[in-house]
Amino acid sequence: MKLDPIQLEVLWNRLLSVANEQQTTLIRTAFSTIVRESLDLACGVFDTRGNMIGQSLTGTPGHINPMATGAIHLLNAYPPETLRPGDVLVTNDPWMTAGQVNDFTVLSPVFRGETIVGYFSNCCHAPDIGGRILSAEAHEVFEEGLQVPITKLFCEGQPNEELFKIIRANVRTPDETIGDLYAQAASNAVGARSLLQMMDEFQLETIDPLADEIISRSERAMRDGIRALPNGTYEHELWSDGFEEPLCIKVAVTVRDEDIDIDFTGSSPQSHRGINVVLNYTKGYASFAMKAAISPEVPHNEGAFRPVHITAPEGSILNCRRPAAVASRHLVGHFLPSAIFGALAKAIPDRVVAGSADPIWMSIWRAQWPQTQKQSNLTLFMLGGMGARQTKDGLNTTGFPSGVGGVPTEVVETQAPLIQNCRALKTDSGGPGQFRGGLGQTISIEQRGDTDWSVSGMVDRTKFAPHGLAGGEPGAMGEFLLDGQPVPPKTIMWMKPDAVVTMNPPGGGGMGDPHQRDPQSVLNDVINGYVSIEQAKTAYHVDIQFNGEENELVRLPEEFELGARSEVRE
Amino acid sequence: MSKPFRVGADIGGTFTDLIVVHEETGEFSIGKVLTTPDDPSRAVETVLTQTLEQNSVGTDQVNHLIHGTTLVTNAMIERKGALTALLTTEGFRDSIEIGRETRYDLYDLNLEHPKPLVPRYLRFDVPQRTLSDGTTRKKLDTVFVERLIRELSEKGIEAVAVCYLHSFTNPADERTTRDIINQTAPHLRVSISSDVIPEIREYERASTTIGNVYVQELVEKYLRKLETRLSDIGFDGSFYLMLSSGGIATVDTAVRFPVRLLESGPAAGALAANAYGLAAGHNDLISFDMGGTTAKICVIDDGKPLIAHEFEVDRIYRFKKGSGLPIKLPVIELIEIGTGGGSIARVDALGLLKVGPDSSGADPGPVSYGRGGVDPTVTDANLVLGYLDPNYFLGGNMSLDMERARSAIAEKIADPLNMSVEQAAWGIHQIANENMANAARVHALERGKDPRRFPLFAFGGAGPVHAYRIALSLGSPELLAPLGAGVMSTVGFLSAPLAFDFVRSWAVQLDDVDWSKANALLAEMQAEGQQLLTDSGVQPSQISHRREVDMRFVGQGHEIRVPLPDGQLSSGHIDELKQRFDQVYKELYERPGPPVPVELINWRIVSTGPKPNISLTVTAVSDITSASAAIKNHRPAYFPETSGFVETPVYDRYLLKPDLEFDGPAIVEERESTVIVGPGSKCRIDRHHNLVVTMPRQSPPAREQR
Repeated sequence: MKLDPIQLEVLWNRLLSVANEQQTTLIRTAFSTIVRESLDLACGVFDTRGNMIGQSLTGTPGHINPMATGAIHLLNAYPPETLRPGDVLVTNDPWMTAGQVNDFTVLSPVFRGETIVGYFSNCCHAPDIGGRILSAEAHEVFEEGLQVPITKLFCEGQPNEELFKIIRANVRTPDETIGDLYAQAASNAVGARSLLQMMDEFQLETIDPLADEIISRSERAMRDGIRALPNGTYEHELWSDGFEEPLCIKVAVTVRDEDIDIDFTGSSPQSHRGINVVLNYTKGYASFAMKAAISPEVPHNEGAFRPVHITAPEGSILNCRRPAAVASRHLVGHFLPSAIFGALAKAIPDRVVAGSADPIWMSIWRAQWPQTQKQSNLTLFMLGGMGARQTKDGLNTTGFPSGVGGVPTEVVETQAPLIQNCRALKTDSGGPGQFRGGLGQTISIEQRGDTDWSVSGMVDRTKFAPHGLAGGEPGAMGEFLLDGQPVPPKTIMWMKPDAVVTMNPPGGGGMGDPHQRDPQSVLNDVINGYVSIEQAKTAYHVDIQFNGEENELVRLPEEFELGARSEVRE
Repeated sequence: MSKPFRVGADIGGTFTDLIVVHEETGEFSIGKVLTTPDDPSRAVETVLTQTLEQNSVGTDQVNHLIHGTTLVTNAMIERKGALTALLTTEGFRDSIEIGRETRYDLYDLNLEHPKPLVPRYLRFDVPQRTLSDGTTRKKLDTVFVERLIRELSEKGIEAVAVCYLHSFTNPADERTTRDIINQTAPHLRVSISSDVIPEIREYERASTTIGNVYVQELVEKYLRKLETRLSDIGFDGSFYLMLSSGGIATVDTAVRFPVRLLESGPAAGALAANAYGLAAGHNDLISFDMGGTTAKICVIDDGKPLIAHEFEVDRIYRFKKGSGLPIKLPVIELIEIGTGGGSIARVDALGLLKVGPDSSGADPGPVSYGRGGVDPTVTDANLVLGYLDPNYFLGGNMSLDMERARSAIAEKIADPLNMSVEQAAWGIHQIANENMANAARVHALERGKDPRRFPLFAFGGAGPVHAYRIALSLGSPELLAPLGAGVMSTVGFLSAPLAFDFVRSWAVQLDDVDWSKANALLAEMQAEGQQLLTDSGVQPSQISHRREVDMRFVGQGHEIRVPLPDGQLSSGHIDELKQRFDQVYKELYERPGPPVPVELINWRIVSTGPKPNISLTVTAVSDITSASAAIKNHRPAYFPETSGFVETPVYDRYLLKPDLEFDGPAIVEERESTVIVGPGSKCRIDRHHNLVVTMPRQSPPAREQR
C-alpha cells in the first residue's frame, strides 16, 4: 500500500480520533472519580506487532508510556494465535506495566473476520486494590494489594467470573473497581468498532503499513529535533523528601547526534518503603520529558521512544527489584521531567520550564457516612503550580508532569462524607521571576461523620522547593498539616472525628531575574492577590500602595498605586 | 386574519438577512440589509418591512418570526459584556480559575488556561455552606451579602453571578442572595447557577452562569427593543429565538438565559445546509457559510449536524480545545473563523500579506462601500478581480466603488509589495481561501472525515464567491450553491419544527422510583409544552411529546438517554426500563455494563409541532431552453488557469431552470450573492434550483508536511 500525503494525513487523524473515542468511552462509563474526573488514564491503539501508533489527547505519561512499552508482555503471554474474538486481557503487574498494583492495563485484540488487525489498550488507576490502603508504608509489594498476573478478563465476550470473584473479595470498593474494569473493556470495544469502520471505509486490509509510515515519520521528527541540540553530556540533580530520608535523583543526558542517552546512575538506592520506581515507569516519565522538549507538535507514538535510550542501575530507586514496595512510585517518578529539564536548561534553555510542584498530591480518605454507617474510600488528587516558562508565567495548579486534574468539590462531597472548607489559590506561592511560577493552592478538609477517620497523604516537596531557572527563585514548599501542625506524610494517619486536615501543594519555580519583571505585571498580581504588597516589595522591589479604605470588601484596580521600582542592590 | 407566513431572521456581524415563507405553498422571498451595530433591531425592522411590502404581505399575516444572532458570541469574545462580579461559597472563589487542572495538550509546555470573564478581584467568598444532601452546614450571612452588594453597586459593578456549592440540590441560599440583590440594588443584573444550569460540577456551572449574566443586559435591551419595533409595525404573531442547539425558545426564556443563544445564527446555517442537502439527496456535506465577518464550517454527517453537549467560547491558545471558557449547553458543533468579506488585508512587519481576523464590519465596511472605510478588504479584492458587479451588489440596492477599492489596494498592498493591483487582489482572495480551506480540513479531519468525499455546500453572502477555490483546495467532488445562498442560513430557522425541551432533575434508583411522582412530573412538563405550542398556533392534533430519562449505573458520573414507555408508568415498567437501558448502553458502548444497580437522573420531555414544509418553491418565470439564453452580459474576471482576465459570461440566476447545463468559467449572479465557477468545471441546475458544479479532475494537490 502506497500512501499519498493526503491519505496519510486523513488516516492518521482518523486513528487519533478513534483513540479519543476510546478515551471518551472510558470516561463516560467509568465509576471512580480517579478516571472520570481526574483523568488518571491512558488509551492507545496498536498495530499487529504491538507498536503503539496513536494515543488519546490527554492521559498521563505514567500510564501511556508504560502501557505502550508493556503491551509486548501481554502479547508474549497470549500470542495472537491463542486469542479469540471477544477476549480481553488484563494485568496490574507493576514491573511490566505502570509501576503499582492499582493500575490495571487492559488490552483487547481487534478481529476482522478471523484475523487480528490491531489492538486497543488502556490503563487506569483502580479506586482500591486491597492490601493496605495505598501509602508508602509497605516493605514489599505483597502488602500493597492483589496482584493480577496476565489473565483473561473476558473470554470470547463472557466475564471471567472466577477472577471477578477474587477481585470483589479483595477490594474495599467492589462495585467501583469492577465497574471500572468493565469500562476499560467497553472503551477498547468502542475503539475497535471505529477502527473496523475506518478499515471498511478506506478498504484497508491491514493497518501495519500505515503504522510503519506514522512511526517512521514521528521517529524522523524526533531525530531531527535531537540533531538541533549541541552534542554533549548535561547533568542535573534533584532531591525528593523520600520516606525516612531524602532521596537523590541524578541524571546525565547525553546528546549523540540524533540519539539521546538518559542515565540515572548516582541516584539513591532502592528504598525499603513503597516509593520505588520500576524501570518501565522511569522510562515513561523520562521519554515524556524528551518528547515535550524536543518534538511536542508531532502526535505521540512508538517512534518517539526509538531515539531515546534510558538506563538506571538495577537496585536503584529508579529501577527497583522485585519484590520492592512500589505503591507511591509517582512521588519519585514525577520528579524526572524537572530533573531532565534542569539538565537540558544548559543546552536548550528556551524549550524547558522551571521546577514544578512535580508529584501529584494523592490522598486516600477513609470515613464513615453518618447514619448509614456505610464506609467510604475515596482517592483525591491535588495539584500545585507549574514552573514558569521562557516567556510566560507558570500555570497555576496544574497537573505537571502528570496531566492529572483534581476532583470537583461537589463530586468529592457526593462520593464521600467529606467537607472541603476551601480550595483556593495560595498568595505568594509562585516562585518570583521575570516570569512567575504558577501558584499552588490550599485545601482544607473535614469529615461529616463522628467516628475516627483516616487519610493517607502521598505528598512531597515539603522539604525541597521547586527550583527556579535563569535567576528565577524557588516556588513555595508544600505543607501537610493536621489541626494546623505539620505531620509526616506518606503514612496512613488515623484521626479524631473533628480533625481538620490542610494540604497545600507547592508553587512552581520562577524563570529569570524577578527584578526584570514588568512592574505592571507585578501590580496586576497584587490587585488580584496572586502576590502580596509585601512580596512585591521584597522579591520584585516594586512599591505598591493601596489607597482605599482598610475594611472595604471590593478593591478595584484604581485604588492601587504603582510606585517607583527601588534600586536593586547587588 | 389568516396567518400563513413564517419569517426567519439572522443578524450577522455585517448583514441582517431575512426570509418569508408561505407555510402551505412553500413560496418564499428574501431580503438583506446592512446590520446596524448601534441598534441591531433597526435593521431587522427595515428588512422585514421592505420584504413584506415588496410581496404585498401584511405584517399581521405573519404567524411567527424566528430569529438568531451572533451578538452573544461576539460580546463574550470581545469582552464587551457587563462588568460582572462572582459570589461563591466561602473558600471557593477560585474555582473558575483553578478549573479542571488537567492539560489539554500533554506535550505542549506553552499552553494557557482560559481566562475567566470575572477577574479575581471581583470574585467574593460568601459565608454560607450547603452540603451534598442539601442540608445547611453554615447559614447564609445575609448581612454580609447586603454590605457586599452595596459596595459593588457603589463601585459601578453592573452584574452579579451567584454560584454556591450544591445549589443544584438546594437552591435556597442562591435564591435568598438573588432576592437581597434585587432589594438592595435593583439595577444590578443577577444570575444564579441553580436557574441557569442546575447540574453538578461547580466550575462548569459557574462559568456558564457568569456567561449568562455577562451578556444579559445587552441581549435584553436588544430583544425588548426589537419586540417594540415589531409591535409598532403591527406584528402580532409569536416571536421566538433559535438556541445554540437548534431548538427554539420564547423571548422571555431568551432574556432569562441569553447564554443559550450563543452561536444561534451559525446553528441555523448548519440546519439550513442540512435541510437543503437532504432534499438534494446528500446525507453528507461540508457546509461552508461565509458572511461579512466570519466563515462557519460544519460537517453534516449522515443527515444531521453533529451535536456537542458542552462547548467552549473564546479559545485563547491556538484555538485548541480546552483553552476556552466552558459553557455547558447542547450546541451544533461547528468551527467559526475570522475570515469574511469585510476581513481587512494588510502587509505585516515581515512584509507578508495577511487577511483578517479583524473586520471592517457593517460600519464603515469595505472601502468600496464608500462609507468611510480606508482599509482594503476581501470584498474590495473580489470587486477588482471582476467577481462582483459594482452595479449589481444586493441586486443594485447598493453600488460598489471600484476606483476607491483599486486605490486602497494599490496604496496599502500593491505598492508596498511592489506588485500590480490585480496581483495584490488575487493574493488577498487566495489567502482568505487558504485560511478557510485549512480550517475546514482540520474540522473534518478532527472528526475523522475525509473532506475529499464530502460535497461542499456554499452559502452566505460571500460563500459562493470563494467556494470554487475552497472546493478545489479540499479536493471536494462537487460544489453546491442553493438559490438564495446569500440569505440561506435564515431557512434554518424555519426548517426545524417548533419544539420546546423540558427537563426535571430527580435522582432515584430504579427500584425506588415513586411512580405516581414520576407520572405527575412528566404530566406537568407535557402540559407546559402543550400550552406553549398551542399558544404558537399549532393544532393540538399536530403536537407530539417525546419522553426520555437519563440513566446510569449507580456510581458512574455520566448518563445515557433512554426512551420512556408510553402511558402511565408503574412498577410494572421496571424490567422494561432496565432492558431499554441495557440496549442503549450496548449500542453506545459495545458491551453490557457490570452487575450493579441503575439509577434515573433527569426526566425529559420534548414537545414538538408538525414538521414544517420547507420545499421552497420557486415560481418559474423563465421559458428558456438553453443556459446560454440566461447570459445577461460578459465581464472580465480573473482566473489564474487562463493567466489573467477573461471575458466571462454572467448568468442570470433567476432565469436558470432545472436541468440546464453550462461550463465554467462562469459568473452566476443573483441579488444577494454571486457564484464564481472556474474553467474546466461542469455546471448544472438540479430540480431544487441548486447550482451543482462538478469539479475538474485534478491530481492531488501538494500538501504541506505535518
